[in-house]
Amino acid sequence: MSHHRHIPTLEEDHITLDELGPRTVRVAGAIGVVGLALAAAMGAARGDGFASFGWSYLLNFAFFLSVSLGAFFFVAIGHVMGVHWNVVARRLAEVVAANLVYLVVLMIPLLLLAGRVFPWATGHTETPAALLAIKAPYLNQTFFLVRWVVYFLIWCGYALWFWKRSLEQDETGAPQLSVRMSRKSGLALLLYALTLTFASYDLLMSLDPAWFSTIFGPYYFAGSVVAFAAALTVITFWLQSRGRLTKVIHTEHLHDYGKLLFAFVFFWAYLAFSQYMLIWYANIPEETAWFLRRQQNGWGWVGLLLLFFNFIVPFLGLLARSVKRHRRGLYFWAVWLLVMHWVDLYWIVMPEFHPETPLPDLLDLLTFVGIGGLYVAGIALRASGHSLVPRRDPRLDDSLGFENA
Amino acid sequence: MDATRAMEPLDNTLEDPTRPTPLVLGGHTLTSLTDKICAIAEKPRPPRAWYIAITASSSLTLVMFAMIGYLITTGVGVWGLNNPVGWGWAIVNFVFWVGIGHAGTLISAILFLLRQKWRTSINRFAEAMTIFAVICAGIFPGIHVGRVWVVAWIFPIPNYESMWPNFRSPLLWDVFAVGTYATVSLLFWYTGMVPDLATLRDRATTKVRAIVLGVLALGWRGSHRHWHRYEWAYLILAGLATPLVLSVHSVVSFDFATAQLPGWHTTIFPPYFVAGAIFSGFAMVGTLIVPIRKWFNLEDIITLHHLENINKVILATGTMVGFAYSTEFFIAWYSGNPNESFTFVNRAFGPYAWAYWTMVSCNVIVPQFFWSKKIRTTPWMAWILYIFVNIGMWFERFVITVTSLSRDFLPSSWAYYSPTFVDVLTFVGSFGLFFTLVLLFVRFGPIIAMAEVKTVMPVAALEGESKPIGDYHGDMHDEPRHLREKE
Repeated sequence: MSHHRHIPTLEEDHITLDELGPRTVRVAGAIGVVGLALAAAMGAARGDGFASFGWSYLLNFAFFLSVSLGAFFFVAIGHVMGVHWNVVARRLAEVVAANLVYLVVLMIPLLLLAGRVFPWATGHTETPAALLAIKAPYLNQTFFLVRWVVYFLIWCGYALWFWKRSLEQDETGAPQLSVRMSRKSGLALLLYALTLTFASYDLLMSLDPAWFSTIFGPYYFAGSVVAFAAALTVITFWLQSRGRLTKVIHTEHLHDYGKLLFAFVFFWAYLAFSQYMLIWYANIPEETAWFLRRQQNGWGWVGLLLLFFNFIVPFLGLLARSVKRHRRGLYFWAVWLLVMHWVDLYWIVMPEFHPETPLPDLLDLLTFVGIGGLYVAGIALRASGHSLVPRRDPRLDDSLGFENA
Repeated sequence: MDATRAMEPLDNTLEDPTRPTPLVLGGHTLTSLTDKICAIAEKPRPPRAWYIAITASSSLTLVMFAMIGYLITTGVGVWGLNNPVGWGWAIVNFVFWVGIGHAGTLISAILFLLRQKWRTSINRFAEAMTIFAVICAGIFPGIHVGRVWVVAWIFPIPNYESMWPNFRSPLLWDVFAVGTYATVSLLFWYTGMVPDLATLRDRATTKVRAIVLGVLALGWRGSHRHWHRYEWAYLILAGLATPLVLSVHSVVSFDFATAQLPGWHTTIFPPYFVAGAIFSGFAMVGTLIVPIRKWFNLEDIITLHHLENINKVILATGTMVGFAYSTEFFIAWYSGNPNESFTFVNRAFGPYAWAYWTMVSCNVIVPQFFWSKKIRTTPWMAWILYIFVNIGMWFERFVITVTSLSRDFLPSSWAYYSPTFVDVLTFVGSFGLFFTLVLLFVRFGPIIAMAEVKTVMPVAALEGESKPIGDYHGDMHDEPRHLREKE
């Protein structure tokens, strides 16, 4: 029964990275640098002006960006709603969200290659020139750059602000900081919704300059939250298997990770169905062209992969309470959903680049390892030297003692 | 009962992350809470104002039935429909009422799963309102079919002519979606009410009350086993109802979005309609709850903190609706499709610009006032904003339905739509029906979920086992025994 349960304290747990931090920065950083170097070399060897490199890079950038954007949401929605259960996990989310700062650096290659990657810039597209001319006030390289500066200013500004206030609270323990973070979160979420939506248009929807779908922003958002919930599970598992946070984050929290995953897997499917069904039903050529490309030359199998393995199977898999409370079971589904989120983005990006085959390229893997290595190094770098739990948050005790009925 | 509770601050809207917000004020004990809420339904006579109100609302209901009678005996020509605008107020009113019917199940199902304890003070009432709104909604598609005597054909009933409805039509999906929603909402409402009906039954002073409430309470005795089953039923119903909250208005949005008409066909419609439904539903909850908490002195149970949370939900969903409007507008331009951009420019600057700007002002600008804590926590100010939201959300459906139809692809067929007095009176009359049902429920039913509110009272933590936080359902299995000891 509940009142006999032991409620963990921070003192009995290991809540800093210590030697794990620098080691992870070195190893992941080295993997990242080598991965990107190999990818760049391979991209150069292709002799296509880094176009294939750029596409793979874009795909994986969109993937890691979505993880950090999901973390941003997790932090802000928690503050705005005064959430208790997630306090023990919030520092991890703050770290991942603040990784947006390093994504600015990782965005630079994409900005440099924009003229060779985005079809509205290269002109390698079936979209008629007249239509491109209509869209040119939005789809042009200068405005693209300006928009990304704005997005990152907003994202990094808030993510760093949350990170710093949270660290400040580690020192002072002032409850007033929680109130301030809560007040800041409302506007943060509004700006987040706007910037994420336009970022998804810029990065993904505009790859077919003729195509448009008003649900596209929410679609990328839903995927982002799934990706972060999965990443949070993986990070927690990784830390716990190395003796960190083994008591502070317990089954009750994992159960809620699982619920979050489950809810947003369902939400993703709801949005994906809405988008597909409405376009299929109305059958207007300017909209169906996008899906048609994803139903030919074997791409239809990737779509079915998404239907079954990004919705039906994980939906059934995560349905049971026992799975969500089973550490390895939850870890399994988290890794699964991260892979499937990548497949989802692959299915969005690559049919625009190589519609003739759904098979991935080695460059996709190398850029994944490259960006991913640096991304992980960034997380470890930021987390080093700080508590992995907001140790003086006024709601921490509630979170430590949290229990699902 | 003890000193700490006597010192409880009356203002529970202060943000203090160091301790949980008190959700019930006024130093209530479990018994005093029961007495207070039951008294509303047990008074031999309601206040005079109630009689005046129900006279007005039931008269309006009669007006609606008169209009429906006139419609059926004369034909749909009595409505303002014209050639391009074949869907007028009937569909607008249908979507309006279904939208309002979203708050109750959201509060009882989704907020339950999200462990939002404050929901307990308002969920019962909101669920009742949901059922009544869905009843009002159901009338309009029923009467707009033209030949009402064959309205049963909208259901897939086996028949000797093998006549089946068109399963590929979103209008039929609506029949299923709304029918399922109404059923589950009704079950949810009733299941949640059983323990409270039993409380009323146990307190009954007349034979008639004892028998009627006894039947309705389904033999509830408050045993551990009853509570155990009840918690499970509640959790399962919450799980089932959660996707329904999304699905109903998504399917309603399909009525429009599966078409090829600019302004109707856009992929954001499902989530955008759901956000709008929650928005309008909460505004209607607020519209009713502000006067009711005043008239029945329920300010210590439906506190300012509750109102503030309602207002935050309205701010969030209203902003989502505004976000959807701007997305539609941007994509209409971005699509490069002249029909799309024409439709949206026509909405904002065409003959229905007045309706469009009414919609934008009420739905996007008005809720922004809720950024102010002063307005969020001042009931009369919030109430004025609720009224605007109600108006705005009706206009949203009007703008969507009528502007796109009245100026379609063929300029020679364009026509301006105006309602007739029959349209207007039928709609006004539906409010009569809605308020009549609300008034009857307020008079006879347990308008606050007593059993649930008790679980979030500080006295529950004192008398029961101490739990820091978590799901409160399932904590209080012994509660009926507490009650019985006191009575």
